Amino acid sequence: MIRIHVDMEKCQHYGQCVFEAPEIFKLNDQDKLEYLATADDAERANVQAAADVCPMQAITIVD
Amino acid sequence: MGGLRTAESLRRSGFDGEITLIGAERHLPYNRPPLSKDLLANDKELSAVAFPIKEEELRAEFLLGEVATALSLADRVVTLASGKSIGFDYLVAATGLRSRQMTFPNDLRSGRFSLRTYDDAKALRKATTSGSRVVILGAGFIGLELAATLRKLGCTVDVVAIESTPLAPILGEEFGEEVRRRHESEGVRFHLERTVEDLIGTDRVEGVRLNGGEVIECSVLIEAVGSLPNTEWLEGNELDLSNGLLTDQSLRGMCEDGTSVDELFVVGDIARFPYAHHQLPPRRIEHWNIPIESAKRVGREISHHDAPGSVADFVMGEHFNPLPSFWSDQFAMSILSYGEPKLADEITLIEGDLASAFVFGYRRKGELVGVAGIGMRREVNKLRGEIRL
Repeated sequence: MIRIHVDMEKCQHYGQCVFEAPEIFKLNDQDKLEYLATADDAERANVQAAADVCPMQAITIVD
Repeated sequence: MGGLRTAESLRRSGFDGEITLIGAERHLPYNRPPLSKDLLANDKELSAVAFPIKEEELRAEFLLGEVATALSLADRVVTLASGKSIGFDYLVAATGLRSRQMTFPNDLRSGRFSLRTYDDAKALRKATTSGSRVVILGAGFIGLELAATLRKLGCTVDVVAIESTPLAPILGEEFGEEVRRRHESEGVRFHLERTVEDLIGTDRVEGVRLNGGEVIECSVLIEAVGSLPNTEWLEGNELDLSNGLLTDQSLRGMCEDGTSVDELFVVGDIARFPYAHHQLPPRRIEHWNIPIESAKRVGREISHHDAPGSVADFVMGEHFNPLPSFWSDQFAMSILSYGEPKLADEITLIEGDLASAFVFGYRRKGELVGVAGIGMRREVNKLRGEIRL
């Protein structure tokens, strides 16, 4: 299991993470980010890619 | 960022050799987008924007505050301003851009600013307080973001730009007109189809004189008139440096004679790479996600060359074809765009209305080449898959 943290003070809801890890991140009806706080290890590469493309660098994988 | 992301990609794809990262700035890599917004507005420190680095995974040596001044491809050596020489098997050119500087007859230095680095942002913040009079030369994204941030800090802001509508060359007339209207409603003043002819002042900038003769008093002049690629250090190797460094479809550097250099790769804003789909000359793209995408690719390229067959899912010669994305926050406006809208020969309002939230589609010969909107993120995101470049 991996744990995912999004700093909602930094997050600007651009939704770039959604394309890298669609199983974990989505924009809701109000265009706000929603995400799963834990995921399978198999998702690690996708979540890392999501963290990399976040313009605000708001996403971290907590090891 | 391009260098760091390349090193990370190298390690993730199994590269086991030595990695040296040479950076002209004295800081470790950091994220630039907040410089014109949150970092400037709230006077935050470098730690607020520094990229996390996992040293034990990266196993890279950082040479900071070191400027590369020359390259000999024949000898595989980079020379630094400090006099050091560094040999290599593979070289990644990721030296990025610098702000373009104007020259004026009365070419004062004090009171002039640009924004590219953390140090630039700190210097600008130090010079601006509520009530400061600021003139911004240029109405591109950096100029407009600075206009919004400084206006919110209580400065008076005058924007001088050569175009008749801000952002129009990038996003079209209607989009740009709406951006201008929203800035004006927040008190930003525009002086369009104008240039700064000269500076006024003796020891420091006290004002600017426009080409129409109008004078604007100011204590701070910000030049946001584009950037230049840092490629001088690559000269003397017969590389194609006509605008950045030309690359092939695998991001290898190219010579003037059209051949690729096997041990030289290019990452980020300086890479002038070919279109996969359109019959258009290769282009540079100055968007934040290009260093990330090119770094990912180059890390895998080098790992593959170093140990053929070792990189999972590696396709030799696959055309590097990233989807450029950009975003910009100005006052309550949140702009999101994909593709290359400026290629369009036809611009249509797809959804929404100009006064609130909207999405424009940009087509070239009938094919979608870009999409951009204010708000309506899910609608913008939905169209990105249809873009062909």
